[in-house]
Amino acid sequence: MNDLWHGFEVALQPINLMWGMAGVTLGTAVGVLPGIGPALTVALLLPVTYGLDPTAALIMFAGIYYGAMYGGSTTSILLNTPGESATIVTAIDGHQMARNGRAGAALATSAVGSFVAGTLSTIALSLTAPLMVRMALAFGSAEYFALMVLAFVTVTTVIGGSSLGGWVSLLLGLVLGSVGIDALSGQARFTFGVPYLLDGIDPVIVAIGLFAIGETLWVAGRGPAHEDMLPVRGSLWMTREEWARSWKPWLRGSAIGFPMGALPAGGAELPTLMSYAIEKRLARRPDEFGHGAIEGVAGPEAANNASAAGTLVPLLTLGLPTSATAAVLLAAFQQFGLQPGPLLFEHEPALVWGVIASLYLGNVMLLVLNLPLVGLWVKLLSIPRPWLYGGILVVASLGAFSVHRSAGDLVLVALIGGIGYGLRRVDAPVAPVIIGLILGPAAEQHLRRALSISQGDWTPFVTRPLAATLLAIAVAILLWAPVRRRWRG
Amino acid sequence: MLSRGAAALLLMTPTILSGSSSLLIVAPAAPGGGWDQTARVMQRALAEVEPGLTVQVDNVPGAAGTIGLARFVQSERGNPDALLVTGLVMVSGVITNGSPVSLADATPIARLTGESEVIVVPAASPYRSMQELAAAFQTDPGTISWGGGSAGGTDDLLVRLMAEQLGLPASRVNYIAFAGGGAALAAVLGGQVTAAVSGYFEFAGQIAAGQLRPLAISSPERVEGIDAPTLRETGIALDLANWRAVVGPPGLSDAERDALTTRVTNMAQSATWKMTLAQNGWEDRFLAGAGFRQFLFAEQARIAAVLERLAASDSAQPAGGAASLSPHTLPRVMAVVFGGVLIAFGVARIRTQPSAFGLQPSEIRHHRSVAILGGALLVQPLIFSTIGFVLSSTFVFAVAGHALRGRGWRRAATLKDLTIGLAFSWLLYLVFSTGLGVSLPALPLLTSSFSLPTFDF
Repeated sequence: MNDLWHGFEVALQPINLMWGMAGVTLGTAVGVLPGIGPALTVALLLPVTYGLDPTAALIMFAGIYYGAMYGGSTTSILLNTPGESATIVTAIDGHQMARNGRAGAALATSAVGSFVAGTLSTIALSLTAPLMVRMALAFGSAEYFALMVLAFVTVTTVIGGSSLGGWVSLLLGLVLGSVGIDALSGQARFTFGVPYLLDGIDPVIVAIGLFAIGETLWVAGRGPAHEDMLPVRGSLWMTREEWARSWKPWLRGSAIGFPMGALPAGGAELPTLMSYAIEKRLARRPDEFGHGAIEGVAGPEAANNASAAGTLVPLLTLGLPTSATAAVLLAAFQQFGLQPGPLLFEHEPALVWGVIASLYLGNVMLLVLNLPLVGLWVKLLSIPRPWLYGGILVVASLGAFSVHRSAGDLVLVALIGGIGYGLRRVDAPVAPVIIGLILGPAAEQHLRRALSISQGDWTPFVTRPLAATLLAIAVAILLWAPVRRRWRG
Repeated sequence: MLSRGAAALLLMTPTILSGSSSLLIVAPAAPGGGWDQTARVMQRALAEVEPGLTVQVDNVPGAAGTIGLARFVQSERGNPDALLVTGLVMVSGVITNGSPVSLADATPIARLTGESEVIVVPAASPYRSMQELAAAFQTDPGTISWGGGSAGGTDDLLVRLMAEQLGLPASRVNYIAFAGGGAALAAVLGGQVTAAVSGYFEFAGQIAAGQLRPLAISSPERVEGIDAPTLRETGIALDLANWRAVVGPPGLSDAERDALTTRVTNMAQSATWKMTLAQNGWEDRFLAGAGFRQFLFAEQARIAAVLERLAASDSAQPAGGAASLSPHTLPRVMAVVFGGVLIAFGVARIRTQPSAFGLQPSEIRHHRSVAILGGALLVQPLIFSTIGFVLSSTFVFAVAGHALRGRGWRRAATLKDLTIGLAFSWLLYLVFSTGLGVSLPALPLLTSSFSLPTFDF
């Protein structure tokens, strides 16, 4: 506690406050722009900040990281175009809310939810980091595999559309995910001798294709008569009822996001998805999900921000980066001759606690920055439809191109846009494709790693208590869904 | 608040404004990795050695750097102001990926750094020395699981070379690849693998804190400040370093090559460079000219030989349980299941909506719009490189406007679309290209300094 107090003294110095402010502003901006993520931004800034005081530079970088988490949901909600994989789940109900004229409420619940989750999980980071690390290290490959199986089952049963359609999408994602060099053996799979495919298919490209381009084709196909984007209906901000429906998902999302973000093989896809699934189960009217349920935005957005704070646990205590941004932050520490790890808290207490304290301040700044922006963003929706979607296509192709700076990616993104249009036409959900694409290769690697460690023995999946429990839950959900459907109808 | 954001954006653009001479450094990896860090440290050191020089770092990630290499060799041919960061991993990547372009197609300039590998076990491990671990490994190779970075990388090579020195075929190693040395750290700390291999610096914090025990390092001699014997001392006649170097494009004259070498040599002697080496735990292994060319050939031959022996012995029984699931098992199963579910889904839809083959005819009435828009999106990549980002985006914007309006051809509306599309694309171009340093193909007539993107097909 005393350490944290000193940290606030460091973070509240005017110069550090200014850098924090610059970081969160820049982070919000790059979060909104597709294709430019926090990782690239920090990498670009690294050489420029060399002359800065390390504390100031790291406070700015942490601000960029947090800011990007706030900004990322904006395009998901307004344009159904997630800029990064962490906000895919937000797009499902967030964009439906925008169509119902509740874009303001969706943006507000995601900003306030991000603030609540960011603050709660920063508190958790200050208090429980060493404990979380011990828990996270107990997670071996068998446990990760079980967790991902649970995620697959959840995706197909929870996300809207027909459940067979959900399986079509998920399996398509799994097949696309296995394209490229196998990480464990170095062998190429499904590449058909094309060097372009060796590195696999980038999830960001697929997300842009399925959502932005698929959506635009779909809108074009339905013709101008369908005026489906409503201007703001009712209050711009959240109503009393929307507040009442949001606060519990915020808390639950934080509780899910932080520990899952702290897992060494974390990432924001699993916690956002799990949060969505749980909110749908607990909701009084689950049939509203997929048609603009505010809980489906509030929970995942909170989980997303909480997991961002969770990612800092292994980074600061183990020197272990679990996301691309964390890897660049690690490089930033090293640039200043600091080695994150067990000794960092002992050697550099002023810096570590200063950065942690700046996260509290950064969350307040981001709330103040983002709430007024809601009104501005909502105005975007009043742009005439042909220009709005024309702009989406241009930004989408720019985003796709900036990932690898390859014109080949533009061909891929157009083809995947065609697939996204096809899936919409047969009423299959598109989000499971991306979930399968991201988690599929990870699940396969963990399965094979677990088998390699146990030398081909499958029993660890049953004998390791955590893995067995997770798998049992997955089987229960899988069996329960058809039973309940028959029972109801 | 906005003005502060703008100020921060401006911070990123010091390189755009100045500049008589410029230098391009291609890092064939994503931001954050070793190659990227090397490029960015060079960028900083070069700017101090040659004031007024504009250094641009370009990340071209993919396939162990071979995608970056291929593009560098194609698009920078004869450019005396371009460098590519490379290293041991690219040498093996070229072989394992069957890349048509190799380092022999580039012009060797200089080796810069090297990182010794360290072999660690968790503090609670029963193995107290390299000899004990090696003995257990020889007795039953499958029971010792080695964690490290990606397959075919430095960590993997070291373990397989050790196996060969201990008289085991390289394919009997139970090597468990993680996404980078960092992820292997969690596995060895959590006791999921017996031992882990990585660059010394990645484990330095845990070794200092006593959570990991270093058994041996892979350098030829003992390193000051590292309390571990060399592999040679423990009876394994082997040394390996994860070296990093820079090469120039092909087609340089001898004079141009020497000028580039001088620049890099001056950079490598600067105070900034030396200080960063110490901070990042990189060893100074500077070697330029003919010495580096010989080293590069020797290293290529050594790696090729190991990989060849590995491929030859691959038919032998591999260690561990990997045998039960080959790399191709699950993807094939998934593809078959996907086909099955797709057919089931199609049948189910045709049964419920037989007239329209399962589609929703009532809602979709504008097939022409979809076709036009889809066509425009496929044309865009073809014209992207030649007419630039701004014009090709204006084209897509106008087609989208036409397709979404869906009321046939109207000249006035299209002219308006073109104007707005042009303004919007130009604005985006300025923000991304000038503000954020993302190089986009510009208007062909305005500038030729940006390298055009090439197709990777």
